[in-house]
Order: sequence, then structure tokens, then C-alpha cells
Amino acid sequence: MKNIITTILLLVATTSIFAGGPWPQKKGKGYFKLSEWWVVFDQHYTDAGRIDPNITTGVFNTSLYGEYGITDRLTAIINAPLISRNYNNNLVSLTTNEVLIQGESINTIGDIDLSFKYGLTSHSNFPISISLLLGLPTGTTGGGTLGNLQTGDGEFNQMIQLDAGSGFKIGKTNAYISSYLGFNNRTREFSEEVRYGVEAGAGLFNSKLWLVGKLNVIESLKNGSTAESVTSTSLFANNSEFSSLAIEANYYITDKVGISVSAAGAIRGEIIAAAPSYSFGVFYDMNK
Amino acid sequence: MKLNIAIFALLIISLNSCIENDYIDDFVEPVLRINNPIDTLGINESYQFSKTYFNNVGLQENIEATWESSNENVISISQDGLAQALSLGNSLISVTVNSEDLLLTTSFSLEVGSSTAESIQKVSGVITTTSSYVLEGDFIIQQEQGGIAINIADNYKASTALPGLFIYLSNNPNSVSGALEIGPVEVFNGAHSYQVDNVSLNDFSYLLYFCKPFNIKVGDGRIE
Repeated sequence: MKNIITTILLLVATTSIFAGGPWPQKKGKGYFKLSEWWVVFDQHYTDAGRIDPNITTGVFNTSLYGEYGITDRLTAIINAPLISRNYNNNLVSLTTNEVLIQGESINTIGDIDLSFKYGLTSHSNFPISISLLLGLPTGTTGGGTLGNLQTGDGEFNQMIQLDAGSGFKIGKTNAYISSYLGFNNRTREFSEEVRYGVEAGAGLFNSKLWLVGKLNVIESLKNGSTAESVTSTSLFANNSEFSSLAIEANYYITDKVGISVSAAGAIRGEIIAAAPSYSFGVFYDMNK
Repeated sequence: MKLNIAIFALLIISLNSCIENDYIDDFVEPVLRINNPIDTLGINESYQFSKTYFNNVGLQENIEATWESSNENVISISQDGLAQALSLGNSLISVTVNSEDLLLTTSFSLEVGSSTAESIQKVSGVITTTSSYVLEGDFIIQQEQGGIAINIADNYKASTALPGLFIYLSNNPNSVSGALEIGPVEVFNGAHSYQVDNVSLNDFSYLLYFCKPFNIKVGDGRIE
């Protein structure tokens, strides 16, 4: 279940025609976003893919996301949860009204992702890029009295990803579609993962409002450890996987500054939260 | 102005993450149990019975009890549960408590014979899942010197997907509050056993399996 928390962070990824996808930033340009992302869940998908209850758990991340063009083809990307909060509710007896298990919380920095994206094609109508992502275990694991609170998964991971997409017009409306395929190699006996997804967006009102829809999938290779193969008291669940749908709206308040809202939820999963996640952010886009 | 509102909204969202209460329905019918019943009491011998009362959440409470013998000519019993075999025959031994205007009585038939004979030394049950996680198997609990042995049968299976799966003895199938933690589950398939010291056969009603870190009940087995 620890993975429930860390994996659901992936349900919403910052992407638009100006950030993410196969499009590198131009040299000296960038895209930055300060956002709040959260999920509160009292049920989860089990290893059989069914939904079971759990004590209400919340994760709130205040994150800084940034892309910056080092060259026209090479972009550096950081996704840093500057404040990550994980809590469990109190468990209270309905019969006696006594608190049976005290709720707890931790507030720390979360796991930071650093990545570099390189555009394999330049000035193409069908851009393709390759990315290397390094997931740094800067968050906390094993927090709280029972060791069940976390703001990171405690493992270093490296993911290589291919992105491809295309920008086009529907009448006078700018639009795009992109997809990705990645392989995530994880340490500390976590299962490796294949990740893929597709998204499409359209810029309305002279591209002041971008509406985006996404499908993200993580397939676990289930080649990591389980409670049986490591210590029996290990808190590390493994083999989480899901398919999620997300919708996102980005609205430019000024030429460069805008707000972003999104919602995402798993439509299928194993060992993952069965509740929607939300985000709200303010972005600064140097490309406009 | 719009940007200020957006940043203010960010702050509000980030602060709206307080710990609240989850409620669990942990009511169980109160139980009065004789801890050390016997089948036969030897003539002219005495035997100290004891009882335990478990309240409506399965927690032990010390409350005053009344002991009675239906045939005082065969067995006499004091108010602290000390029985004396006076003549050959049978008598119904009863213990009663009064908890919050609820009279609860437990009784059993006791024979006076040539020597004292212990009661049952073995109980059993079936572990079943109460979740979507795999958990099943039979078990037998045997009284041993200084404690009990819980023997899980070879038809036992448990999911390895949950971290921190623990096994408990409890008198409430829905809560580990007040339960005796036996320890972490280390075997997920096949026969194995647990030795639990300072516990007798009649102390608990359920085997419980909980994912301890996340307080998820996985399954249980009623001790019959």
C-alpha cells in the first residue's frame, strides 16, 4: 500500500503543447508551475483488482514543476514536491466513541524527479523526443508511529521514455495529440514498470484556454519482492499498476501567466487508491 | 488580481488537509466465559473456577459475579468460585454478572466422580477472508503447558500483496483494540504453527488477520 501513495502521484502529469510531450523547450525558454495536488482515499484496488476499504488517507503535495531549454533540442525538467503531507485519520469506536488508533501526519519534502529530454527530430510535423528521468528518493518513508506514512517510496529509479506527437488545427483551433512509452527501472527490489499513455488537447478562445484529456497506464512487470520474499514486517507493497483517465484545463490570465486545474482517477488498478486526485496550479509560460 | 486569487486558492487547498475521524462498528454482544471448566470433580476435592467478562467491544472488564450450584448437596460453591464436591451426582454450575442492567449467565453441568477430569483441550476453526485478499485455511488450537499452540493446516493460503500482515487473538472480530498480537505473518502457504504463552483455550474467540500499518482487516477465524 505504500506504493498506493507514490504511484498515484503519477496520475496527473504536467503536459501541454507548451510543457511535456515530445516538444523540447527552445533555448533560454521555459515553463514553470507551482501547484497543489491532492488525493484523499478511503478505499483502494486490491491485488485482485477489486475495491476494499482502508483508513482514510490523504496526500497533499505543493510542487514546483519546471522545464528549461538548455539548447533548442535539450530540455532540463524538474518536478519537486517542496511540501508533501501524508496523513491518516483517527480510527474511532462507533460503540464507545473512543479513539482506537490515533491519526498521524508527516510533512516533508517529497521525491524529486529530474529529467532531460532530447528532441530527436527538429522542425518536424511529427516530433519525437527521448527522455531520461531520474527519480530521487528525497521523500520520507516509514513515517509515523506505525511506519505507515510516506512522502516518497525510498527507491531510486531511472526511466527512459519516448514521446511522439503532432500539433495541428481543427478549423481555426490549435490542437495536439501525443503519446509516450517508457520503461522504469526501479531499485530496492521494486518491480520494474512499462508506462504508456496518450493525450489530446485543444486551445480555445485564441488558445487562451487549453482543454486536455489523458490516458495513462502503468503495467508492473511484477518482478520485484513481495511480503513473502523479503522480511515479513516489510511495509513495501509492490506490483502496483493502473489505468487512469485525466482531464485538465489551462487558462492564460495574461500572455504568460495562467492557472491550471485537473482531475484524474484510476479506472482499473491493483494496489492503488480508488479515489480521484485533483490539482490546482499557477503557471508561467515563457514561450508566449 | 486574478493571479493573487489563484495563489490564495493554492494556500487554502494546501491547508485543507486536517486529520478527521473514521468510525468503526466494533459492537459485539457481551460475553461471560468460564475460563477453566472441567467435566468431572473428584469426590471430596475442591476446584477454583474463574470467569472473565468481555464488554460490548470485546474488552475484558472486572465486575462482580455470583456463583451458584443447582444442587448444593452434591457441589457447593463460594461467591469467589471455589467448588467443593460433597457427594456423587450432578449439579449445574452457574455464574452471573450484572453489567449495566444486563444479566448475563453462563452455566455448565459438572459431575462428581472418583477423580477430577479436565475439560476439552482442543478447539478449532476455519480462517476465511473478509476482504478481497486471499486468506483461507483450517486451524486447531491445543492447550499446552504454559500456553497454547495454534496449528494452521496445510490448506492455508494468504496473499503476499499486503505489507505488514499480522495475526492476533481477539474477542472482537472487527477491531484489534485490546487484542493480543501474536506477530507478523511469515508463512503465506501451507502448514505452520504459533506458540502463545500465558494464554488458555477460553481466553479468545477469534483469530484475526490485519494489515497492521494500514489497519485493514483481511480475514478472521472464529474459534469454535
